[in-house]
Amino acid sequence: MARRVCIVGGGMSKWGVREASLWDLVQEAGKECFEDVPGLKPKDVDGLIFANSTAGRRGFQINSAPICAERLGIKPKSICARVDVLCASGSTGILLAYGLIASGMADIIMVVGGEKCYTPQRWEVFYSELATGDHDWDCVHGLGLPPPFFAMVAKEHMKHYGTTKEQLAWVSVINYNYGAENPKAQFQKRLTLEEALNAPEVVPPLTLYDCCPVTDGAAAVILACEEKAKDLTDRPLVYIRGGAQVSLHACSANWPGEHFADWPHLRVAAQRAYEMAKVGPEDIDVAQTHDCFSISQIVEVEELGFCKKGEGGPFIESGQTKIGGKIPINTDGGLLSVGHPFGGTGIRQAIEIMKQLQGRARFQVEGAEIGLTHNLSGLNFEHTIVIYGREPVK
Amino acid sequence: MAILGVPILEDKYPYTMDMWPLECKEFNRLYKFYEHLKEGRFTTTRCRTCGHVAYPPRVICPQCYSEDLEWIDLPKRGRVIVFTEQVRGVPLGFESPLIHAYIDLGEGSPIRRILSRIINCPAGKLKEGDEVQLVVFPIPSHPIELKGGEMKWVDRVFFAFEPVQK
Repeated sequence: MARRVCIVGGGMSKWGVREASLWDLVQEAGKECFEDVPGLKPKDVDGLIFANSTAGRRGFQINSAPICAERLGIKPKSICARVDVLCASGSTGILLAYGLIASGMADIIMVVGGEKCYTPQRWEVFYSELATGDHDWDCVHGLGLPPPFFAMVAKEHMKHYGTTKEQLAWVSVINYNYGAENPKAQFQKRLTLEEALNAPEVVPPLTLYDCCPVTDGAAAVILACEEKAKDLTDRPLVYIRGGAQVSLHACSANWPGEHFADWPHLRVAAQRAYEMAKVGPEDIDVAQTHDCFSISQIVEVEELGFCKKGEGGPFIESGQTKIGGKIPINTDGGLLSVGHPFGGTGIRQAIEIMKQLQGRARFQVEGAEIGLTHNLSGLNFEHTIVIYGREPVK
Repeated sequence: MAILGVPILEDKYPYTMDMWPLECKEFNRLYKFYEHLKEGRFTTTRCRTCGHVAYPPRVICPQCYSEDLEWIDLPKRGRVIVFTEQVRGVPLGFESPLIHAYIDLGEGSPIRRILSRIINCPAGKLKEGDEVQLVVFPIPSHPIELKGGEMKWVDRVFFAFEPVQK
């Protein structure tokens, strides 16, 4: 019989353009994470999973998990490994830790993730992006940085469903205004619709505020079996109820949908995660969806079942993702304003959902019982979902 | 040719910073794809056992795991389904405008859609539905170190699509 698994606490470094190394950022996140779980010491942590994609590309370090553990003063005895699924590395670390704890192989695991994305010369930041998709068959065409791909998603969504630039801008405005209150966010900036609509163009139809930034940062969480979790915290327990990770293609020639705004791989992931968690989209009280671009969040609210296919634009424009709306989303600011150090993102999302379910979020969704995190990876060839709840699956 | 800050790499070829594929026989069993490009052919592999056509080409059929594959020609013309045009902030190694297009290779093609760069096309000219055709161009050669330290230079090409002149 699988054991129940809880997320107990978490912390993160300041995210942004940081005057710090990868290991500096990891230590900052680890310190805040331990401070969030008073009584837990590094020696009590029996496993470590390091979510990181680019230490071997934007730095000169592979086999990084033992170094991460050493820097944090942790001596893992059940697992010590790095996981790389680019943008979903953090959520993947959490899913793997869940499995290891549920199986009985580990009791308490720290999942820590982050990236040092900025290099001394900016050209290399963007050049390294040519490693993020299928290098020999997609990226070789200059398709490294994702804005061109998601610009095509936006154009297809506009063509097939009538989505407008204003609706894209609303995603950014709502998420930025959540992030404006978040001291860890890369941008703590209030954004108006007018400002978003008049922003400089990146790749048409996407403008500056439609795109998440390049970010240095790290985040860490503690996962534990139910028994240990009860000893570690007086806060309400938050259980991992289910999850799924789906990849149906990798090279864009094999895109699984009818067009770029049709994401069947996300629908498959959602269906599997909902089944495992024994909930439906109508049960989710609060969510973190992967807003790497404004258009991404529009497609995600549709494919996750929060609204009908094609209605993501009006859904967001009408305020359904704000506090008091049908389902508040990215209540800490999301990727758009907090930033996106790939391995750190899924962990940041988990921290926000944990805080929401424990009743201690900055923008609190009253009485939130069930929360969801979602990531897409690379040029949209993988979807990862984790569902959390105040109650375990019975 | 100096490499700033890393003098030991002077005159060395760092493959990890090469944006193009290793196309040669010594490093890639799909080298024929690139040899075909040099002949103006756009090809991929078909499984002789189950008939499955894969793109990118393979050395083993992903459907039935047969190793008995053959090279077949893909259409060299298609129509633009959707595209994007980047004018400012084009990444190192590419020229402005950097145009990406999802191309429909037509109903008869075993591989229906492909994402490619569009070249030889001024900004603001391309439209959805436009016909585009394969274009092959040289890319930088690279050295392979042979036994005894001697260098063998490998010539390379790559492909993109360009508008068909009306």
